[in-house]
Amino acid sequence: MLGKLRGRKNGIFTKSHNEDITLIGKSLEDCPLDEDEDAFQGLGEEDEEIDQFNDDTFGSGAVDDDWQEAHERLAELEEKLPAAVNEQTGNGERDEMDLLGDHEENLAESLSKMVIENELEDPAIMRAVQTRPVLQPQPGGLNSSIWDGSEVLRRIRGPLLAQEMPTVSVLEYALPQRPPQGPEDDRDLSERALPRRSTSPIIGSPPVRAVPIGTPPKQMAVPSYNQQILCPKPVHVRPPMPPRYPAPYGERMSPNQLCNVPNSSLLGHPFPPSVPPVLSPLQRAQLLGGAQLQPGRMSPSQFARVPGFVGSPLAAMNPKLLQGRVGQMLPPAPSFRAFFSAPPPATPPPPQQHPPGPGPLVQNLRQHRNLNGAGDRGSHRNSHQDHLRKDPYANLMLQREKDWVSKIQMMQLQSTDPYLDDFYYQNYFEKLEKLSAAEEIQGDGPKKERTKLITPQVAKLEHAYKPVQFEGSLGKLTVSSVNNPRKMIDAVVTSRSEDDETREKQVRDKRRKTLVIIEKTYSLLLDVEDYERRYLLSLEEDRPALMDERKHKICSMYDNLRGKLPGQERPSDDHFVQIMCIRKGKRMVARILPFLSTEQAADILMTTARNLPFLIKKDAQDEVLPCLLSPFSHLLYHLPSVTVTSLLQQLMNLPQSAAAPAPSNPHLTTVLQNKFGLSLLLLVLSRGEDLQSSDPAAESMENNQWMQVMFMATRELLRIPQAALAKPVSIPTNLVSLFSRYVDRQKLNLLETKLQLVQGIR
Amino acid sequence: MNYMPGTASLIEDIDKKHLVLLRDGRTLIGFLRSIDQFANLVLHQTVERIHVGKKYGDIPRGIFVVRGENVVLLGEIDLEKESDTPLQQVSIEEILEEQRVEQQTKLENEKIKVQALKDRGLSIPRADTLDEY
Repeated sequence: MLGKLRGRKNGIFTKSHNEDITLIGKSLEDCPLDEDEDAFQGLGEEDEEIDQFNDDTFGSGAVDDDWQEAHERLAELEEKLPAAVNEQTGNGERDEMDLLGDHEENLAESLSKMVIENELEDPAIMRAVQTRPVLQPQPGGLNSSIWDGSEVLRRIRGPLLAQEMPTVSVLEYALPQRPPQGPEDDRDLSERALPRRSTSPIIGSPPVRAVPIGTPPKQMAVPSYNQQILCPKPVHVRPPMPPRYPAPYGERMSPNQLCNVPNSSLLGHPFPPSVPPVLSPLQRAQLLGGAQLQPGRMSPSQFARVPGFVGSPLAAMNPKLLQGRVGQMLPPAPSFRAFFSAPPPATPPPPQQHPPGPGPLVQNLRQHRNLNGAGDRGSHRNSHQDHLRKDPYANLMLQREKDWVSKIQMMQLQSTDPYLDDFYYQNYFEKLEKLSAAEEIQGDGPKKERTKLITPQVAKLEHAYKPVQFEGSLGKLTVSSVNNPRKMIDAVVTSRSEDDETREKQVRDKRRKTLVIIEKTYSLLLDVEDYERRYLLSLEEDRPALMDERKHKICSMYDNLRGKLPGQERPSDDHFVQIMCIRKGKRMVARILPFLSTEQAADILMTTARNLPFLIKKDAQDEVLPCLLSPFSHLLYHLPSVTVTSLLQQLMNLPQSAAAPAPSNPHLTTVLQNKFGLSLLLLVLSRGEDLQSSDPAAESMENNQWMQVMFMATRELLRIPQAALAKPVSIPTNLVSLFSRYVDRQKLNLLETKLQLVQGIR
Repeated sequence: MNYMPGTASLIEDIDKKHLVLLRDGRTLIGFLRSIDQFANLVLHQTVERIHVGKKYGDIPRGIFVVRGENVVLLGEIDLEKESDTPLQQVSIEEILEEQRVEQQTKLENEKIKVQALKDRGLSIPRADTLDEY
């Protein structure tokens, strides 16, 4: 191994003066030519590393003989080229024409000279190639780039290009250079941003391709060509700028296919006069394709077709293009056939876009189609083309590309717990499904098939994160990473004494505490709401545990709401009221109520009723209290009469005994003037009435109490001036009958009017 | 073939005419030809539409490749309904002029505002000096 390396190294050292070769590793450069064995051996180990890093020079990528010889040849070329260049620039077209000639041998030779190797796609080599002095002034003084392949390699004849012709080389598809912008600036703003593409064969810009780089070849071409046709007379084509035609690129077309050239000289023999000369530069580039590469230097892709390679779907000789807005670009029949060795597409002459006179063209195409018999690809096209009739640019994105993108998108949807990761989407579709299920039950028609996206389900993997450990280190080194974050700040919670704080701070702290409690309770609520779903998903044995958990959480919630104060008989309302002052708190209570037991819920309701004016005042901005009506009304249906009675008492702030003088009742006024308050009041009254009427005979304590309260209530209601009453959410229907028990006709009417109990009085 | 129903995958939108709103405020209208997983878009026969008041003007732009992160929103254009709009199309020069005038008035108002604030001892930093996010 070492010996081999040594051999290589020696070889490199001899070439070390050649600037084209990049030496890797300082050791190499530093080594004198006549190093001794020891140094060599020492370097031997390093060589292994160098070997790894530089395959091209030392490793598998390089084959000793080739590159050495190749570089020698390059060196030879350097001398050869200046002579050759003079010829070229001088005679240009004719020269190249001669070069190619009509003879097969010349053709083959020039083929071998001009075709680009795979090897040369290696940018390193390209760069090496380009470091050669520029022998020909670049057009417009533009710098060489690796995309200049066609020009650069043009100068390089011979040994480099000894290989077989590749299918399609990257360089062939390179982008054209920007030609120097002439003073032909169009004031037409529609052209403002569009690049001008010159396709002059003299400059040698590579052909503009309609097919993207890297498109795999679609069809194998049948090699039969007329050499005469393949030797177009090079013409300097400088297309006129206006009038502009929108470039009608057919799909999957390569310019080579469209080498139906309007310019007769290009094909070397006369054209029918029907051919219109005007084309946009891009179109022309497309059409002329390889023929425009270089005067006399034919596109390798053309030749590629010859030996049976296919550059691009030649077959897609898109008639649409020809019939397109550009006008007619009719290929002369014989040349067309000859030019395109690959079968044209089996696309039918599209029925759309019919500019006048493409008749003969279509016939030609049909002929050629039949001639070459390619059909398989065309048939796919047909259905698709019918589908996207008027759009010649459709399906630029291939089906497989679409599949590829959708595959990526599906991968992104992989989730172990879709309900967690994609909550809103799941919810939305559940709702939709319920809707459609409901509709299906109602309707008699067939269910509308709604395709549903089935996201890939991925099993949950338990990852135990182990922080990285370094070997040989004393103790544990802590490396902070995203999975193992380091503690940034040691925040210490200090409790403050009450005296230090000002009143405002206390208030603020209290509010913050309330907010924290609300958040905690909300989390509990979400968990509790989720139990139903989990219950369904869980196994049998897990279920009791789930139920217990749920109960526990509900208790915690209630405690949170009412304020857990052990030792007190009855917790103060303050805690609850604080929660109820905050909008989120109110909504949360509304959601919690269904989960609470009746007693607990009744307690909540009573507290609300007791403090209603205060709450109403605090709710002035949010106006969220009505959300509580629904759970309250549900609750009411479960409440016994006693509770309802006391509730009414609380709500109206009625004095305990009927005999007491009735002071002015701002409490009631506030309640009545608030939507929520009034609605609640009416609900309570309605419930009471229901209870009463459902049990008329019973002369129970409750009933008595109720009646007493009702008397007081009606008295109060009558007393109250008719201020602007709120509009209740709903007016129960049994209120009239309710009041009729307690008041006479006249007062009943009064009540009705006041409370707007009768329909129609608004 | 129904690609990913119920999602915002753009595959179904290919080859249809779209209106794309970019983060810099430009409005592009073009045929969506190709996408990728980042919602980078390739728009064909793109037209940049400038709206000023009730008028608009179109600048043909050719092919656009838009990086996905710069798209605010995009939506398909109904080709049939495309033409009934109360807006009036004007020439490019005119709309650019209108736009310039609009920008100018906005700047002047902004200046007056800033001056008024300065007189009262307040200063609000201008949006472009703030962090974009």
